[in-house]
Amino acid sequence: MYYPSQSQATPLTVVRRERVLPVPGQVLVEIGDRVDPQQIVAEAALPGEFRIVPVARLLSVSPRRAARMMRVKPGDAVEAGQVIAMRRGLSRLAVRSPIAGRVTASGAGRVLIEADSPTLQLPANLYGEVAAVIEGLGAVIVSRGAVVQGVWGNGAEGFGVLRCLVKSPDEPLLAKMVDASCHGAVLVGGTGLEEGVFERAVEMDVRGIVLGGLPAALLARARQTRCAIVATEGIGALPMATPLFRILSTNDGREAAVNGSMRLRAGVVRPEVIIPLPAEATSTSSTTEIGAPLAVGMRVRIVRAPHLGATGTVAALPPRARSIETGARVRGAEVDIGLEAPVFVPLANLEVLY
Amino acid sequence: VTGKKSMPEEQRIGSILLADCGTVTTKAVLLDRVDGEYHFIACGEVPTTAEFPWADVSIGIRQAVEAITEITGRRFFDAGGNLICPERAGQEGVDIFAATISASQPLQVVLSGLVRDLSVASGERAAAGTYSLVKTILAADGRDGVLSEEERVRRIRDAAPDVICIVGGTDGGAATPVLEFVEAAALACALIEDGNTRPRILFAGNSRLRERVASLLDGQIELRVADNVRPTLTEESVYGAQAELDALYVSEKMGRLPGVDTVSGWSPVPLAPTARAFGRLVHYLWYLGDPSRGVLGVDVGGANTVVAAAFGGQLHTTVRSDLGTAFGIERFLQQRGVERILRWLPEAMPAEEAQGLLLNKELRPASIPQVLRELWLEQALARELIRSALETAQPGWKPGAAQVHPRLLPLCDTIVVSGGVLAHAPRPGQAALIVLDALEPIGITTLVLDEHGLAPALGNVALVKPLAAVEALDGGGLVNLATVVTPVGRARRGETVLSVRISYDGGGSVEVEVHYGDLEVLPLPPGQQATLELRPLHRFDVGLGGPGRGGKRRVSGGLVGLIVDARGRPLRLLAHPERRQQQLRQWLLDVGG
Repeated sequence: MYYPSQSQATPLTVVRRERVLPVPGQVLVEIGDRVDPQQIVAEAALPGEFRIVPVARLLSVSPRRAARMMRVKPGDAVEAGQVIAMRRGLSRLAVRSPIAGRVTASGAGRVLIEADSPTLQLPANLYGEVAAVIEGLGAVIVSRGAVVQGVWGNGAEGFGVLRCLVKSPDEPLLAKMVDASCHGAVLVGGTGLEEGVFERAVEMDVRGIVLGGLPAALLARARQTRCAIVATEGIGALPMATPLFRILSTNDGREAAVNGSMRLRAGVVRPEVIIPLPAEATSTSSTTEIGAPLAVGMRVRIVRAPHLGATGTVAALPPRARSIETGARVRGAEVDIGLEAPVFVPLANLEVLY
Repeated sequence: VTGKKSMPEEQRIGSILLADCGTVTTKAVLLDRVDGEYHFIACGEVPTTAEFPWADVSIGIRQAVEAITEITGRRFFDAGGNLICPERAGQEGVDIFAATISASQPLQVVLSGLVRDLSVASGERAAAGTYSLVKTILAADGRDGVLSEEERVRRIRDAAPDVICIVGGTDGGAATPVLEFVEAAALACALIEDGNTRPRILFAGNSRLRERVASLLDGQIELRVADNVRPTLTEESVYGAQAELDALYVSEKMGRLPGVDTVSGWSPVPLAPTARAFGRLVHYLWYLGDPSRGVLGVDVGGANTVVAAAFGGQLHTTVRSDLGTAFGIERFLQQRGVERILRWLPEAMPAEEAQGLLLNKELRPASIPQVLRELWLEQALARELIRSALETAQPGWKPGAAQVHPRLLPLCDTIVVSGGVLAHAPRPGQAALIVLDALEPIGITTLVLDEHGLAPALGNVALVKPLAAVEALDGGGLVNLATVVTPVGRARRGETVLSVRISYDGGGSVEVEVHYGDLEVLPLPPGQQATLELRPLHRFDVGLGGPGRGGKRRVSGGLVGLIVDARGRPLRLLAHPERRQQQLRQWLLDVGG
């Protein structure tokens, strides 16, 4: 038995997604609440600015004497300009807080003041219902719709109307395609994109770009871009896998949530596109069980050359290892990708689509 | 087994099941006694299951063991999912199970010290002793500009480390700048409200300051103390700090990996980080060899590259947790440039294509090259990963008499090679050539391949059953890849520099003259024993006592045979791309790659 990696590409399913803060905070929704994409489900204070005030040095006294001159203690709220230490006597001298905030620590003749923190607000980014609350961190939202998972994302999130700008999955996204009709939209391309697309995307307030492969030279630029970017196949001039392109293009004009979050280790997170659908789906359209071993009939994607990006179904699982072009002998599967005969692919180079 | 150390008698055990849970792959192998000797029986290899949908590393080990059951019919788990141990009649269970783990995230470290080239360099070597990533270095020597206390605190807070390692000051030396770092660390910790994410502080600086450091931290922050990494300007002592960091890695990272408790319950031996067990194995092999030379090990994994070296009884383990065949590629390309990798390719490849292929490996780390040009690229990457890890490791070694040529690798009896890219090289000659190109060994060396990636786990078994571990190592844990002879000296290309004669134990002999620039492979198959006679010319040094000195050596066969690497040290690649590619193709051809 072989347990391959899996990727979701389904036209209709029940979607359960955790929306979780990066740091503990406050959850603003309850189980059963209906949420829309812009609704804030949780918020948290992010680490803010701080100042270290060298009280002893400013008062020209020893740290021990400075301790006796303090007017504040850890935990106290302070205003900008508030006196935090005072030297009395003939040469009376006061030390004032440079910022508004809270005293976090004091000692060794200094005071650490942390400014009021900026608040991070986490939107639902989905239409759905709150199925569970994760104490202090977020919520699980259940929705229904199509899901397309990618492999690379730039970390940003967005929600907008899906606009398929190419006719086929091997067509690149060009700057001239991004016109006024793309304002606030999520754009779907095929293979790669022109660098000029990023500028046009900013001008048109584009919320997301989904494409097959992202050129390696544009990685840094893509990371700096505000709108969410998801590559479904990887880095390079790679056309989008046909089943994924079909799901996205057939939903042209519908709203879609793009999440470019990606983590490769320690809790893998895959970037994805979720298209909420009105259908009363109670079960997934996929027949593949999550975590199931590879079996004949499963829908798979090939992730290495010479058939990189091809999708098909497992036709057979030969019990013995076979030689491949490199000379290695490996276990593999025969995959029907629409050629005259099935192709032999190492098990390690298959990803199950569910 | 004969060795410098006698081993205690122990009750003989039979079957051994070993597992290694790596970042990308989980492997299991079964070794068993057949006619009184250990033999490799079967192995299984599956993707690691630390992530969704499994989120439990024990599942991956079960799946890998399941593959062994498919081959052998032997059942290892009872109906309750417990490992059957010891072995029962009727092919059920095993006598001993041991596992190593490298799947967890590395320890995140902020390192502060006084001088970059002294205490900070020692601190870096201490951190490299375990799976760790030094995210920020704060040095007081002003090389990176003078940082205000606020900036120091900000950098520590933004790095969100697991541990702040403070070094600096010789014993009884500098105090004020070291204590300033402690104060900055304390303030940074005060900014982190959540006690669970608050970093620990490891103090391994001026030992006279320990009480003042404890007093400054005032029990608010967990403090660990280790020997000063630089007790004097000329002395380095990183082992105490290494041990503390390793213990933190085990408790904070490895111990929190989902499913690790289940695996721990199956094993009578404590689970060990793979790098530590690999180092233990290298150390152990040193005890079995010539004490005047070293033993070296390189393990190239999906997320880490480990170099372990034993010289004079002292083990030096270096873990580069930012270097792997899958993870860390983007940063590696930024730091060293793709050209460094491309220079090892036997055919032309545009830089953008190479970058795309390497970055996609990070996105699909379990995938393998299926076409030749992608195989060459992965093997080229392996060469650069090893070279890079060696650059980190070598300054910390104390090779003593084994260092016969400055700036070259010290004499090593044995080099253990491990990791998927080496163990799964389609032809053994490719694995051997990667190691020769990357490490550039000199003299006479035996390359030993950890074919199934389980030798570290066997090193772990050695803790409780040393005799069984040694027998199992001989019986399938490690296989001889090649014996390599590398003459060192100066000559013109094509000039004869060495005369080699192999006299096989079964009769017959082969004699060749080796020219400078050649890479020769002579037949010496696995299991074959022979006497090797070397006669160097032009004062070339083959590691038999000095320049021009020859002699005889007993050698054993290997998968590749006997390699004579007369390409010169340091190895020089031709500058012209097409000629260089032709040169590389020729070398591949020479070693049967």
